[in-house]
Amino acid sequence: MNFKDLLKNDYIILDGAMGTMLQKSGLKLGEIPETLNLSHPETVKEIHRGYVEAGAQLVCANTFGANGYKLKDSGCSVREVIKAGIKTAKEAAGGRALVALDVGPIGQLMEPSGSMSFDTAYNYFKEEILAAEDADVIFFETMTDLLEVRAGVLAAKENCDKPILVSMTFEENKRTFAGASVAAAALTLEGLGVDAVGVNCSLGPDELAPIVEEFTKWTTLPIIVKPNAGLPDPNSNTYSVLPDDFAQSLSRIIDFGTVKLVGGCCGTTPDYIRALKAVTDGREYKKAAVNKDTAICSGTTAVEISEPRVIGERINPTGKKLFKQALINNDIDYILSQAISQVNAGADILDVNVGLPEIDEKEMMVRVIKALQSVVDVPLQIDSTKPDVLEAALRIYNGKPIVNSVNGEEKSLSSVLPLVKKYGASVIGLALDEDGIPKTAEGRFKIAKRIVDRAKSLGINPKDVYIDCLTLTVSAEQAGCMETLKALHRVKTELECKTCLGVSNISFGLPNRPLINHIFLTMALEEGLDLPIINPNDEDMTGAVRAYKVLANIDKNSADFINSYNSVKPEKRVIQSEHVALSDAITGGLKSEAANATKKLLEIKNAMDIVNSELIPALDSVGENFEKGKIFLPQLIQSANVAQACFEEIKKHLTKNNAAPVSKGKIILATVKGDIHDIGKNIVKVLLDNYGYTVIDLGRDVEPKLIVDTAVKQNIKMIGLSALMTTTLGSMEETIRLVRETPELKDCKIAVGGAVLTHDYAMKIGADYYCRDAKDTVDKAKEVFGI
Amino acid sequence: MITLESINRAEVLLYLGNSRAEMTEKMELLLDECENEILKTAAPKYLYKTVPLAESGLLVGESIKRHMQDCEYAVVMCATLGSGTDRLIRTSQVTDMSKTVVLDAMASAAAEQVCNKLEHIIANENDGKFLTWRFSPGYGDYPIELQKAFLTILDAPRKIGLCTNDNFILTPTKSVTAIMGLSNSPLEQKRRGCASCNMAKTCKFRKAGERCEF
Repeated sequence: MNFKDLLKNDYIILDGAMGTMLQKSGLKLGEIPETLNLSHPETVKEIHRGYVEAGAQLVCANTFGANGYKLKDSGCSVREVIKAGIKTAKEAAGGRALVALDVGPIGQLMEPSGSMSFDTAYNYFKEEILAAEDADVIFFETMTDLLEVRAGVLAAKENCDKPILVSMTFEENKRTFAGASVAAAALTLEGLGVDAVGVNCSLGPDELAPIVEEFTKWTTLPIIVKPNAGLPDPNSNTYSVLPDDFAQSLSRIIDFGTVKLVGGCCGTTPDYIRALKAVTDGREYKKAAVNKDTAICSGTTAVEISEPRVIGERINPTGKKLFKQALINNDIDYILSQAISQVNAGADILDVNVGLPEIDEKEMMVRVIKALQSVVDVPLQIDSTKPDVLEAALRIYNGKPIVNSVNGEEKSLSSVLPLVKKYGASVIGLALDEDGIPKTAEGRFKIAKRIVDRAKSLGINPKDVYIDCLTLTVSAEQAGCMETLKALHRVKTELECKTCLGVSNISFGLPNRPLINHIFLTMALEEGLDLPIINPNDEDMTGAVRAYKVLANIDKNSADFINSYNSVKPEKRVIQSEHVALSDAITGGLKSEAANATKKLLEIKNAMDIVNSELIPALDSVGENFEKGKIFLPQLIQSANVAQACFEEIKKHLTKNNAAPVSKGKIILATVKGDIHDIGKNIVKVLLDNYGYTVIDLGRDVEPKLIVDTAVKQNIKMIGLSALMTTTLGSMEETIRLVRETPELKDCKIAVGGAVLTHDYAMKIGADYYCRDAKDTVDKAKEVFGI
Repeated sequence: MITLESINRAEVLLYLGNSRAEMTEKMELLLDECENEILKTAAPKYLYKTVPLAESGLLVGESIKRHMQDCEYAVVMCATLGSGTDRLIRTSQVTDMSKTVVLDAMASAAAEQVCNKLEHIIANENDGKFLTWRFSPGYGDYPIELQKAFLTILDAPRKIGLCTNDNFILTPTKSVTAIMGLSNSPLEQKRRGCASCNMAKTCKFRKAGERCEF
């Protein structure tokens, strides 16, 4: 018997709790339950036997926490614990039930909430899977972070060919601890090609019902349901729902359809499984109708392409000086601020392109995707012409992304589509091939069909292919516009594919481009455009999409439209004045007033003079007030931000006059490896920025080697390191040691700071400076650079 | 379930450096805005368990032994505001650092309040018994490495998504673990204060002539 045979049954009965059963049989406080596989196999076997006799057809071996992290200090190896666990379960099953390698979460949070990287998680899972040659299936349970599950599922797919079952744990708000929605879980896991998905633990059957119902709307895969025996009492840890009530509740859940694998989690016993068997015996399996359109998601949030959705195009260096500079300087914050402003302006999805000849695109793409996913919830569209860049990004992306793009050329089809299939993404299909863009709608339609057919043959759902019929510049080829729209219409109606278009190319070379763009967008929407790729910060473009949704009866009761335009709050202004002295504007935290004052000053004074005689003294006086306890920390930062607005004005002025921008020197800042507290470091960054230093911010949890490599590459004279915990001071010391061992950095000064540091300790670990706060760091920078 | 209606302003101001600085209208607005956002985002979760001290493996070092004098049992507890709060703070850092420091201070104060409420729940449940104050890994010579053992005893990673990283930093970061001694007879009130705090040497409050609420 194998899992495929088992699937032929109407229902598959799973087992019940292991952990709570082991506790009852005398598990010691803090003892790792999986080590009992070696020390007390008979106890474990007895529990399995109880479930098999009650009717379980698939039992989970006692391997939930048998991973390298949890077993680290146990004195047992992952391999021996898993081997013994599966052997014991097999013996108990005696051929009457299949045995699953039970895989729980590793026990550490993934980046960005914690420090565990994708590769670390992958390797822990791989170790478990390689030890489970004798298991019949791999069963991931109680998972809460989709990124961690993705690491697990990929580890399973790449290291064995067993069926993979995944069950996640949701709270009553229908989200996991990590924030994943049911839709995001279903889309991501079905995309990865697992064999069943579902829910277990956290709640009793009645509380899980709405979560299961939501699953039935999003997946065609068999659904797993393993509730707790009700909610636990917080102190006594006992559960309240009785076996028959449990089975009756599950019976109602089965009515939703698609639910096929049923069992129990915490607090359940063989009696619950027996009752479950009784209510499913002789009952016919039924499948619910999935009523959702194609959709993509982030690790938390799904976007259904059931109506026009805006793809923001701004994360792309093409033609953008500042963006290019940000990529070269590793200025991830600049990219993040671009992302946040697009989302605030109404983008549903963000395109991400970081291709620049001067940088390592693959490494940058991975960094940017991770950083973006740590601050925005919208799904991303991974945009690169290089398959290796696409694959690196697809691997670590949390959720189901769009790949941008594949085209009709054989080379592209055969390199990109297999990646789309493997990682379960959607893909943009460009209607062009080795002969270029066909002039006619017919030609483009043919290529679109070729792409869709190829995708289908690889097992990709054709609904997940979004066709781009390509916008041509109307000033060069005036007839092209209507051909594009004709092709779009045919793709939409005949291939039943979703469509996308980059819009703004249309107006290139014409005056009043916004007008052309805006009208073309409206025409395309009317022909069935689903995914306009635009600059969402352009009010007219996002406005056109919103207005279209009202007029096409998509935005019901114009709710979104009204919400977008009716809630503009009058801005609060403490002082309304054009003529505020620069120093007052800085101490008062008045950004636009300060910028205006700077502009005026630039007419009569030179830039460096303004910096040295106006900006810096004003900042110094704010700093002094902070030190004396007259103002709060946020006020100090506010003033620094105002100064930043002044520096922007000065930079603009200098670039206009072709003078080099004012920078007093480059400083690297980083929170050391293992430490994830970076607020202090970021305050320092704001202040240094505003005293005119160029900060290269490497972020938090930074490898010593990255710091050294960057310092060498950029010829850095000062490095600032921060650590908040006593446990991470070791990494700080390690980083300093590495800098000192690097001959190219012999003149480089190191300043350190953080809550647990003292001057003496800083000197002991070899730092040049101890900085007690952000203001102090500025003083130390003045010492280093002499200005 | 623990919910918070407001956040202790005085404590927030203490975290923001100068609690005696002059309050401005602008600062007041910022504080209100941040308080609302933290109250909306925080999803307090907690666990606790009464354990026999001798078997707990948690009596490591002198500080805890002094603290637990005359106690046979202890209540092990943990609480977290959840990962949403961390995300809110992270996102805010990209656009507005001054707001970020206020959000961060609000979240720290909120976590402390959740612990106070939890302590109240535990005290009510142990009516007639006597509890020591909360002692956490990292206090005195109490090893921070015990975070993992605390979380394992409470099954915290699975039940409320609270973990530590390899450097024993709790994640989500706005979280607390602690242990309280439990006794049937009245306990000698040990002084709680700077002397038993491992931050005493570097404490900013002390330098400014102030005290935190510890």
